[in-house]
Amino acid sequence: MALVAGMDLGSRWVKLALMEDGNLIETRKYDTIEFYRRFGRKAGERLVIDFAALGLPSLDRVVSTGYGRLTIQVEGAVNIPEIRAHLLGANFQTGLTDYTLLDLGGQDSKVILVRNGKMADFITNDRCAASSGRYVENMAAVLGVSLAEMGRHTHDPVELSSTCAVFGESELVGRIIEGHPIASLAAGVNYTIFRRVLPMLLKLYSPILVFTGGVAYNKAIGEILARELEVEVVIPPHPQFNGAIGCCLAEAAQ
Amino acid sequence: MVRKIGITTTVPVEVVFAAGCVPVDLNNVFITGQNPGKMVEAAEMAGYPRNLCGWIKGIYGTVLETPEIREVIAVTQGDCSNTHALMETLVLKEIRIIPFAFPYDRDRDLLKLSIEKLMGYFQVDWPAVMETKDRLDRVRALVHEIDRHTYETNLVSGQENHLYQVSCSDFNGDPEAFAREAEDFLAGLSRREAFREQVRLGYIGVPPIVPDLYRYLEDIGARVVYNEVQRQFSMPFQTGDLVEQYRLYTYPYPVFDRILDIKQEIERRRIQGIIHYTQSFCFRQIEDIIFREKLNVPMLFLEVDRPGGLDARSRMRIDAFVEMLR
Repeated sequence: MALVAGMDLGSRWVKLALMEDGNLIETRKYDTIEFYRRFGRKAGERLVIDFAALGLPSLDRVVSTGYGRLTIQVEGAVNIPEIRAHLLGANFQTGLTDYTLLDLGGQDSKVILVRNGKMADFITNDRCAASSGRYVENMAAVLGVSLAEMGRHTHDPVELSSTCAVFGESELVGRIIEGHPIASLAAGVNYTIFRRVLPMLLKLYSPILVFTGGVAYNKAIGEILARELEVEVVIPPHPQFNGAIGCCLAEAAQ
Repeated sequence: MVRKIGITTTVPVEVVFAAGCVPVDLNNVFITGQNPGKMVEAAEMAGYPRNLCGWIKGIYGTVLETPEIREVIAVTQGDCSNTHALMETLVLKEIRIIPFAFPYDRDRDLLKLSIEKLMGYFQVDWPAVMETKDRLDRVRALVHEIDRHTYETNLVSGQENHLYQVSCSDFNGDPEAFAREAEDFLAGLSRREAFREQVRLGYIGVPPIVPDLYRYLEDIGARVVYNEVQRQFSMPFQTGDLVEQYRLYTYPYPVFDRILDIKQEIERRRIQGIIHYTQSFCFRQIEDIIFREKLNVPMLFLEVDRPGGLDARSRMRIDAFVEMLR
């Protein structure tokens, strides 16, 4: 019996997955800022996490990912590169071996081309958060709607440029003033995400697209991807915990 | 006092040395200075946009901080158009600008004319320039040896390879002292153990504004065994003809000529992956399209804006790339 914790240290959320002998038993997430405040402490170059305070059972192994292997090193944990964690997680969650993985997180977008269960190529977004979860959150806040509501609209989108998350916000305010309905405004935001990741998806195209990360909870974006790209979009059971799950599996794979 | 001549990129430096002047590659002064970030800020204070190449701003700040440089050779064709506005803002600061152009189509006559105009400015003749070429070629040969030890015997790190080659734009102002340094370095190699990296990388594009890139790569089990543009600065060509030498030099000319050179070196150095580096806001980002289509090797596009350490996101992307190639 081996109990493994996988930890994905994201920009918006810290995701935790617990697996025992290859079975997922629990997932948890913590707001990133709060997590570091409550459970983290810097000791030299390493991040010490107070596992006792997290209330976790006795662990055989902790594997972490996120933010550059040499940037954060969690004491007592093995650190693996993010892309690897996501690949392992998606292979496990979907059982697929040939697909394109799209992960849209708090501030990063990743596209990984998977062939025979291995990474064949990858691209990540440039230094801009305009296709990220943080962008969707901000836009939902501007519109005064929930993220669930945001994820319901795919039709009749208003035109929004997809250049910049900050300019996007003032552009959206301009559209609100023009009197467009919320549905069109929300669809417009969802479409900017699609347009932003489109060049990456075209470069690393597969007929099957596995969609993960917090943004995958937005149903509208999944629908737009399927409709516009004419691909099968697969959203695994735990899209946001994909990296954390992958961390748990790294041990077996190594 | 010796006349120091600033240069904005590699130029036929034989002409400058032949005149008894000392060339100073402003990029090198900027990036190896105490506080390169401050140079960029100085340019922004003067009104340079935030969304503009860090090297251009760094050069501007560096010239303002270096009172002994009153003349600058600015490459007006074959580098980038930002240089035009850089020279013009330096004119406001009473810097004398000497324009130099590499003809886009590699036209031999035009290039010869460009070099001769530069010779006219410095009042030197061909025999003096050719004598200087011989003098510099002896130093360059040492640097070519260092490059060879990078990929053949694997005794030299990516950063050392970068530093020696990038210094060939001005030979640190003193070719003979630089040659002694290179000789000592080569002599010391016999005591070293060869690198045994898991991943051999090539680096293409302008030199990085974050030199710790090389160290970082070595820390995670990869090593740069080819620095494309830096190697070009060392003029790795066998020609006794100065005009031909600056025609063979690939950097100022169309990207397709660079690609031929890169392909050859990928093969020769057994390179598994390429890091294509560009500055933020640089037109060369567009050229990534061409590299991706023409070079059949895994490639990571790396973009950095300001001097300093590598940021966390870039490290994450580099980790993933190296992991993929392992």
